[in-house]
Amino acid sequence: MEQILSNIIFVPIIIAIIVGVFGLSIKWIRVGAIISSVVVTILVAIVIVNFDPSGGMQFVRIVPWIQNYGIRYYIGVDAISLVILTLIAIVMPILYLYIWEERRKGYWYNMMMLQTGVTGAVLSLDMVLFYLFWETMLLPIFIMIGRYGSGMHQHNAMKIVLMTILGSMSMLFSILYLGYDYFEANGSWSFAVNDLATLHFDAQTSIWLAAGFLLAFAIKIPLVGFHTWMAPAYGSSPTPAVVILSAIMAKLGVYGLWRFGYGIFDTTLSYYAPTITTLALIGLLYYAIHAIMESDLRRMFAFSSGSHLSLIALGIIVANIYSWGGSLYFIATHALASAGIFIMIGLLFRRTKSLEIENLGGIASIAPKFAFFFVFFALSIAGLPGTGGFVAELLIIIGAFKYNIWIGALSATTMLSAMLYIFWMLQRVIYGEVGSSVSGFRDLDRRELMMLLPLMLLLLVTGIAPSLFMPYLEPQILTILSALGGIQ
Amino acid sequence: MTPEPLFAISTLLFCIGLVGIISRRNLFVTYISIELMLSAVNLLLATFSRLHGDSAGSVMVLLMIAVIAAEAALFLAIIIQLARSKKSIDSDEFSQLQQPRESL
Amino acid sequence: MNLLSFIVLIPFFSALVLGLIYLSDTKKDRFTLYTSIGILAPTLSMILSIMLWISMLDQDSDTIFYSKLFSWVELGDFHISVAFMADRLTTVMVTFITFVGTLIHIYAAGYMRGDESYGKFFSYFNLFMGSMLLLILASNPIIMFVGWELVGLSSYLLIGFYHKDSANIKAANKAFILNRVGDFGFVMALSILFLALEGSGYSFVSIEANIHTISTPTLSLIGILLFVGAMGKSAQIPLYVWLPDAMAGPTPVSALIHAATMVTAGVYMVARFAFLYNEIPHVGEFIAIVGAISALFAAIIATYQDDIKKILAYSTMSQLGYMFVAVGLGAYSSGIFHVFTHAFFKALLFMGAGAVIIAMHHEQNIFKMGGLKNSLRLVYVTMFIATLAISGIPPFAGFFSKDAILAAAFASEHYFIWGIGTLTAFLTALYMFRMLFIVFYNGTQPRVKLSPISKFMDRPLIILAFGSATLGLLGLGEAYGGSNIFGSFISLPDRTLHISHSSEYLLAILNTSMGVLGMWLAYRLFATNATMPTVKVAWQRIVINKFYIDELYELLFVKPLRSLSLFFERFIDRVGFDGILYISTYSYRYAGAKFAQLQNGKVRYYALYSMVGIALVSLFLLIFIGGI
Repeated sequence: MEQILSNIIFVPIIIAIIVGVFGLSIKWIRVGAIISSVVVTILVAIVIVNFDPSGGMQFVRIVPWIQNYGIRYYIGVDAISLVILTLIAIVMPILYLYIWEERRKGYWYNMMMLQTGVTGAVLSLDMVLFYLFWETMLLPIFIMIGRYGSGMHQHNAMKIVLMTILGSMSMLFSILYLGYDYFEANGSWSFAVNDLATLHFDAQTSIWLAAGFLLAFAIKIPLVGFHTWMAPAYGSSPTPAVVILSAIMAKLGVYGLWRFGYGIFDTTLSYYAPTITTLALIGLLYYAIHAIMESDLRRMFAFSSGSHLSLIALGIIVANIYSWGGSLYFIATHALASAGIFIMIGLLFRRTKSLEIENLGGIASIAPKFAFFFVFFALSIAGLPGTGGFVAELLIIIGAFKYNIWIGALSATTMLSAMLYIFWMLQRVIYGEVGSSVSGFRDLDRRELMMLLPLMLLLLVTGIAPSLFMPYLEPQILTILSALGGIQ
Repeated sequence: MTPEPLFAISTLLFCIGLVGIISRRNLFVTYISIELMLSAVNLLLATFSRLHGDSAGSVMVLLMIAVIAAEAALFLAIIIQLARSKKSIDSDEFSQLQQPRESL
Repeated sequence: MNLLSFIVLIPFFSALVLGLIYLSDTKKDRFTLYTSIGILAPTLSMILSIMLWISMLDQDSDTIFYSKLFSWVELGDFHISVAFMADRLTTVMVTFITFVGTLIHIYAAGYMRGDESYGKFFSYFNLFMGSMLLLILASNPIIMFVGWELVGLSSYLLIGFYHKDSANIKAANKAFILNRVGDFGFVMALSILFLALEGSGYSFVSIEANIHTISTPTLSLIGILLFVGAMGKSAQIPLYVWLPDAMAGPTPVSALIHAATMVTAGVYMVARFAFLYNEIPHVGEFIAIVGAISALFAAIIATYQDDIKKILAYSTMSQLGYMFVAVGLGAYSSGIFHVFTHAFFKALLFMGAGAVIIAMHHEQNIFKMGGLKNSLRLVYVTMFIATLAISGIPPFAGFFSKDAILAAAFASEHYFIWGIGTLTAFLTALYMFRMLFIVFYNGTQPRVKLSPISKFMDRPLIILAFGSATLGLLGLGEAYGGSNIFGSFISLPDRTLHISHSSEYLLAILNTSMGVLGMWLAYRLFATNATMPTVKVAWQRIVINKFYIDELYELLFVKPLRSLSLFFERFIDRVGFDGILYISTYSYRYAGAKFAQLQNGKVRYYALYSMVGIALVSLFLLIFIGGI
């Protein structure tokens, strides 16, 4: 039981290494990948069952690593990381199903490495360990986009990597400074988050240090101004990478804001709150308007993703029980909805070899099941009641109103944002006359239904019965909030 | 005899040799300039040897003359090979280790 | 009382079952199966509603029945359950909605027969019923909002039912988008209301109990924002432009959703929040003014329309305006009474129109019809009754409800509103009878051979005609010796207004004469030789083109958003943000190239560099270390 989190992190990459070292055929790689994802899912289920919602950080494991500098292998999970961990456990098997026919081994290896990287990042409680995993998840994305992507994929792969690394580097400076400062203050080295939280800085230093972290997360989320890597990367990357980018990695940006922003820099964040709030509100509408005239479906939903993540970032900065509950819930439901829509876009691409909207149309006439799922996921993204997105958005809006009535009113524009591009897109892609690339469009087969049904069911369950999930989240949120000095 | 004029001559010869290496493109002239610089150093050594009454400097001069002779042979052999390959003794011709030109 | 939950759950469940059956094989024709399940669901809900009504009869006027399904969200002080409540208002609404709804389902079986997506239609139709019932029966504003949005979704799906034609999808988009704009206001209202009451519960009952703790400015804001939601849902100015376009959906959809039920949700909402609006009468006045202007505006446009369904759409918008006048001025019972009577005659009108359309092979232009009086006798008679009702001619239903509204306006001394309302009554009679005469008169023989109409479609017409004729008597006020059964049953917190009996009689006579005048004028102008309206005078062009409002919205919102999107992509992203990035990348490459030029492979340059380096180091050593 103690080892369970380490197993969750490392099983995928260990299997990948074993398969790679023995040079096994694609059949074995597939089996290995499926086994690793199933094992991970089971282990995560065990963690959920044994999870105590009011227990703070659990399943903690500390192993000394680079002892001279106090860097330890320190992992643990609390309610917030549990949400993202569960998402990874749900999305990865579905993606493996999606790439079942894929014969290029690199695809599979990269996916497994990605899973390790992402899981490790969300579970790390030691800053250097976190940084390690943060970089680890970037490399497979680089290869997936750069090698297996489409369009100007090499250019876009470079763009995403360089911009992300810019952020990571600034974060590294802050981490090292923090570590050194801790040493100065306490005579021993440590990079654990809860140790570093005890440090005190004067306002000026603290602002610069926080900036290092915030830059990394602002680029990841992305907030407006730091986002130009997003649409090209999403547009050029293959579907599994896009799903991970949107559903998991973007969430790690907001997760970072939570864990490290509020973990270490709680008071400094109020200095940055106006900036982040402004950027988030601008981003909410900017991305949505930008998406209207997009002609490539993946880019359009890249912007959609950015818009919703800006809302989540707003919810986090506003820092009260409703907005945090809503943000955490939105992390989960948006990941499910965007995984669904990007997978459907991938399925569309497989059939029509084109994602340009002008070549599409009339899918509802030819493939009703496909159309049904597509419309369902698109409307989930728009926050239709009955799906989880609605509950989340409502909570964030209430939280924003509690903070400030104007911020609340502006955040309510999220109700308007998604519809700007989704309905016109549905009209041109799903309805209307059959487009040039659409003839011969196959409806969903059983494997594809198996991929999509879990996502749809989860979206419905989170929409109809949020009370199943809230009790897991509420205690930890309250704990962190009260630690922040009652910022309610 | 005072050493100052000898210092002056030595410095002058060294500078002439230095400028010659940098500004002249003819390989032979480059070689001559190197020799000039070496001679200047030799002269300085000999002057200081005589000045301090230390024989070590004179010994170094003699050794250097021998080495310079060997070096001359080597240098001229290289020049002949280079001249054979490119039919030119312009040192600017031999720039294969340069940065390849590319547009921004 | 679990009966309540079933009223809502049965249609949803039926929609799910129908949907699954449909998706399993979309091509198979399962008329009997789909029809039986599809009509069974609203029938069951109707039976349950009637049972509810019967139980209500011998309870006190403020009894409320509850049924809690499960807890929905519990976070902080935000405790929302999926729970239903039934008070007098709910009972009345639910009863007639399920009744009219069932009739329209039966009608739809006839109308949609033979359509390739028949099963999908009934699935969506039941989804709509479930959503509407959810909206009405909700015990707290959040669940009501869920129903509110879900009826918007159903409306979108049903308007775009004939999805092969993009024009229908555009209409569906318009409906959803404008609804959402309204919902934007609604959500803000709900959030502010919740936060103002934080800690004291968020069901309608607890809000009513604590309403006095909220300051008037906050209440006014909430009231206005709630009304913004109603503006969208109930097609009042300025969010009405989706309603005429929504006629692109199949006629049963227009009958059920855009006449009898969904569009009245806004009125219901104001009545449900009557306790809130009673605290802010000035906001109520605003609502009444918007309603009055919308009523007049729609009536003017309707007099020049040539599509039979569009005339009815504008007519609905106009009648909704009346309802808002009523609830805005605090006469909630009159407003809901008009919702009630309107449901009957408007559904009847749409269904009759649908019958005519089918008979005329899907022709919708009234000027291509004519002479149908004898061939479609049943339709003609029932629609005549409905037109009399809507024109406010006694003893038909519309007279009593409309009269009550105008009396309330007069009595509360809002003469401007009363004047507009009376003028609109005249116009209503005018354009409705215009439509009736152009379609059914103008000759005695139809121009084309008619298609037969199914039995499913006939019977509901008769029932609704009976209702339109008689149900007005439920609202018979005491001036006429009645006891206003409807109003006293529903026991809403009306702001009671008094006018003398003689004023009431005078008003009644005035309203009736307006109706008769309109009818007579329409007869003179349109019963023989009616031709399409042509533009002779400039103002006619404006009216025919519906005051160019659609074009205005296109200009103000659609085009700018698209241009803005392109602007963002081409300039702000490419040139602005990327520009900053490219400055740094290009300057690195440029500097690198320049430095690279130092390495030109020539020996003498390298010698120079060495010399410079040695000189600098020597100087450094001499000066800093040697101490010169």
